[in-house]
Amino acid sequence: MSFKTAMEGYAKYEGLGNWAFILHRLAGLGVILFLIIHVLDTAAVYFKPSLYAEAVSLYRSPVFGIGEIILVLCVIYHGLNGLRIIYFDMINPNLWTIEINRKSVIWTWIITLVLWLPAAVVMGSHIIEHLGS
Amino acid sequence: MTTQTRKVEVPQGWEAFAWKWMRYSGVLIFILAWIHVLIQDILVGVYKIDINYVAGRWHGGFWRVYDFLLLFFAFSHGMNGTRQVLADYIHGAGARRALNWILLIIWAVVVVIGTVAIFGFTPPAA
Repeated sequence: MSFKTAMEGYAKYEGLGNWAFILHRLAGLGVILFLIIHVLDTAAVYFKPSLYAEAVSLYRSPVFGIGEIILVLCVIYHGLNGLRIIYFDMINPNLWTIEINRKSVIWTWIITLVLWLPAAVVMGSHIIEHLGS
Repeated sequence: MTTQTRKVEVPQGWEAFAWKWMRYSGVLIFILAWIHVLIQDILVGVYKIDINYVAGRWHGGFWRVYDFLLLFFAFSHGMNGTRQVLADYIHGAGARRALNWILLIIWAVVVVIGTVAIFGFTPPAA
């Protein structure tokens, strides 16, 4: 079965580079899933303004607020890791070694968290400010 | 351990174009999406966003063009990415053809809906 074959293929290829690859895909899929919903809800300002108001009030609930913080993590990680891949692929393919890949994955995560934590604090404090309102 | 990269000839077909597209569009989306997320999610925040906010933002042409570019490039990048991920699990030629068509239709429908909304929107009379 094809799915099983693909999964075994991934399982055999281990290491941080592989985790970066899997998380890049998961983050990307998460962002595109939200993007479809987001384009449609924003389009409601033109097609059905009352629906837009409903969507926004849903986005203001704490559950969606936490989802938004995770979404921002996905955008930051997918973007930084994407730039890393682009730099390796398009500018210096000699960097595609296990050791450099490993180190650059670690740096990608350090920068991701350094950028995401303050964003998460700001967004988290917005959620807390509006609890119960 | 030394690793050497070697040059291989890649057929310059559709898939090679799609591969490059992910990288070139990625650079552009990196700029457009990060500015978008910084402003809307972090600095402004969803609690200040409503239809009047959108009306103010889409008053002029600049943010409409910006949002259209973000929609077009990010959505194309994302749908092609989805296609590439699913193609790793779907191996049959017929199933892949169906997958490509389904994703192309979703892509076209969402891009058209978004584009019509961005440029068709007129602020409600205050």
